[in-house]
Amino acid sequence: MIRPLLACTLSLALASTAASQQDVTAFTNATVLPGGAPAMREATMIVAGGKVVALGSADAVEIPVGAVVVDCAGKTITPGLIDASFMTSVTADDANEQSDEVTPHLRILDSLDPEDPMMRRARRGGVTTVHVMPGTQNVIGGLGCVVKTHGSDPDQMVVKQDATMRIVMGSEPSNRNRAIRGGRIESMYYRRPTTRMGVVWAVRRAFFDAQEAMQKTQGAPDQGPPSPGIEVLTQVLQGKMTAVTTARSEQDLRTALRIADEFGYQTVIDEAQDAYMVADELAERKATVMLGAPSATDVGGGGGRDGAAPRSGTVRALADKGVKFVITTGTNTRRLPLVREAMFAARNGLGPQQALDAITIEPAKLLGVDDRIGSLAKGKDADFVIWSNDPLDPAAVAESVHIDGKPVSQLR
Amino acid sequence: MHSIPHRLLGGLLLGALVAPTCAQDLLVRASRIVIAPGTTLTDSALLVRDGKVAYVGDEIPTEARAGARTVDYGEATVSPGFVLAATTLQSDSDLAEGAFAFTPDLRVAEAFDPWSERLEHLAPSCVTSFGMTPSPRNVAGGIGVLAKPGKERGRVLEADAFVGFSLTSAARSQEREPTSLMGARAMLSDAFETARVGVEVGPDLAVLQQVMSGARRAMVYADSYAEINAALALGQRFNFAPVLIGARDAHKVMARLAERGAGVVLPTLTATARLAELELPSKLAEAGIAFCFAGRPDQLRTSAALAVRHGLPREAAMAALTRTPATLLGQQAAVGALRQGCSADFVVVQGDLLDLGARHVATWVDGARACGADPEAPNPEERR
Repeated sequence: MIRPLLACTLSLALASTAASQQDVTAFTNATVLPGGAPAMREATMIVAGGKVVALGSADAVEIPVGAVVVDCAGKTITPGLIDASFMTSVTADDANEQSDEVTPHLRILDSLDPEDPMMRRARRGGVTTVHVMPGTQNVIGGLGCVVKTHGSDPDQMVVKQDATMRIVMGSEPSNRNRAIRGGRIESMYYRRPTTRMGVVWAVRRAFFDAQEAMQKTQGAPDQGPPSPGIEVLTQVLQGKMTAVTTARSEQDLRTALRIADEFGYQTVIDEAQDAYMVADELAERKATVMLGAPSATDVGGGGGRDGAAPRSGTVRALADKGVKFVITTGTNTRRLPLVREAMFAARNGLGPQQALDAITIEPAKLLGVDDRIGSLAKGKDADFVIWSNDPLDPAAVAESVHIDGKPVSQLR
Repeated sequence: MHSIPHRLLGGLLLGALVAPTCAQDLLVRASRIVIAPGTTLTDSALLVRDGKVAYVGDEIPTEARAGARTVDYGEATVSPGFVLAATTLQSDSDLAEGAFAFTPDLRVAEAFDPWSERLEHLAPSCVTSFGMTPSPRNVAGGIGVLAKPGKERGRVLEADAFVGFSLTSAARSQEREPTSLMGARAMLSDAFETARVGVEVGPDLAVLQQVMSGARRAMVYADSYAEINAALALGQRFNFAPVLIGARDAHKVMARLAERGAGVVLPTLTATARLAELELPSKLAEAGIAFCFAGRPDQLRTSAALAVRHGLPREAAMAALTRTPATLLGQQAAVGALRQGCSADFVVVQGDLLDLGARHVATWVDGARACGADPEAPNPEERR
């Protein structure tokens, strides 16, 4: 009886905040898990103009006159969750430009639909920002972008347009390609790579070409701009663009690190189901891991052929070795909603704050957007979730989700 | 030496491009003559000379009236013939150069068959002119034409009407570049960028330069949100207002369509379509976005009638069959209305065109009857 009543009061209050962004709203008596800091009990958060303007204990924060007050007693407020490796409904055909294996300059942003049902589903689960990358069927697929999960125009949803460049190890990029045997010589799929070795060859050649282009430009700066693909690869080599290497099995993880060493760039490792086997190497290189769906006991989908063997203890192993990691839903078809993945990690030996940080502030830092999102503090975007109770409780639900101060999803 | 080939060429061109001319003026009478949506004359007449509307209503000089052959349609309504803004006449295989997706300098005029049987279905469906686009299978398909059906054969009215692009899934083949939407968008933006900075460019990029300078219109097949978004973004970056063909998700981007001055060519509406599709025409009209009906020629009246049933004003529906498609093709001075100087393309209907029970009596193209009845014809068979 009490719950529907509360939800009703809450939604009434929130509807009024939506009327004008300049309206000031005070969320009181909440347990706030601000991201990257310990929990605050009975805290008050003031939101105005799409930003958090104050957060602290009830004594420390004064509620402005005229503010709409939302009583969040018994509720928990967290920053909006960030999924650092998110699959949209864009089909595999549209997420991979198959005319070439190396397409570093293509933007997945060009394929996004703001009303994507996957985005809507993520939003309902408390995810307010996602990092979307091109598909995994190219050796170098292109540029990933960081977008909020609500808006009418991808350009306005963008938090960071060209955030990362995706490299893919393993068998996926070579799947379609064929030698003459069994294929047609006139087909564009008659090309390298058809093996893991060939995939590495393609990465190596791309970076080699970029290095050559850099050297040439240094000698003769008037040669005009390089091709857009080379330009992106050059930014990776210069450390101006984050490289994300998707690698699942142990051998692919080692290859990913080796290639990065060879060309002197730092790479984030995505998916990384076998990371527990190479935790020392990852720690030594200070590589960050975007762990894909840690709850899954095997790898479904196209990556399943690579023979990775996920373990529930991976999160704990990485934490113990001091490897930086974030939790994502990734490409695994066996994934759970993001908050449940963090719950699973917490259940497997990760501290609750660490588990929650791995889906809020840590991905924000990794993607270079922690100045705006990932934590709740004065001046940050008002992207937050009001949970029915502790979000790591399996019974917890996101009662209302806010992006830039506006309620974008509410439990009915 | 040179005069003979020139004369030959002239003769060929005349044969190919000039309408069958009527030596005698034609006076068309009817109880209602719709000059353009919103302008209707009662118990009036049109004077047609050389395939064009020469005078309307009271402007017709008495001597011209006296010397003209008169066709009296009595109680029927004469209105402008429909302009079908985009069609491939189901001859896609002849309109897509399969090996490459980027062929902006190919000319649809060269694939136009004036004797095609597919033209025969147009006049009975009230279509008196149509934009023939390259196939949506190519990202930059080529230069489209404005063409017309006729009693026996069709003809090209404007061989250089617009450039056809496509960002739909049809343009993405898993057998050649591009295979993805981001690849298609990159292909076009790279080409436009090269055309923009290039001084001496090939004929293909020259076509894109003309799009950027406003000398050519861009018609873009785009259905989903991401495809429409790509078309609008390209238009914004390279300074052109695209006319979108299909635009299934147009309702998601109304404000931007209006802001960018983009037009929309809608597909066939059916009674079983989703409500969002059926209401799209009235929403486009409310937002001030130029749109027209296209798709299957024989369903144009049905599409317009369904849109009227879902809130579109009748006048706007008539405009979306005649004047607006002509404007979207840049041919409003030639077709889409029965004003002085326009082609004498009209349809005769017993009743209201948007009433699906109203009987179609005849369709005239360039002042010549393409199908239906001529009450004054010397041969009694043709009078019905």
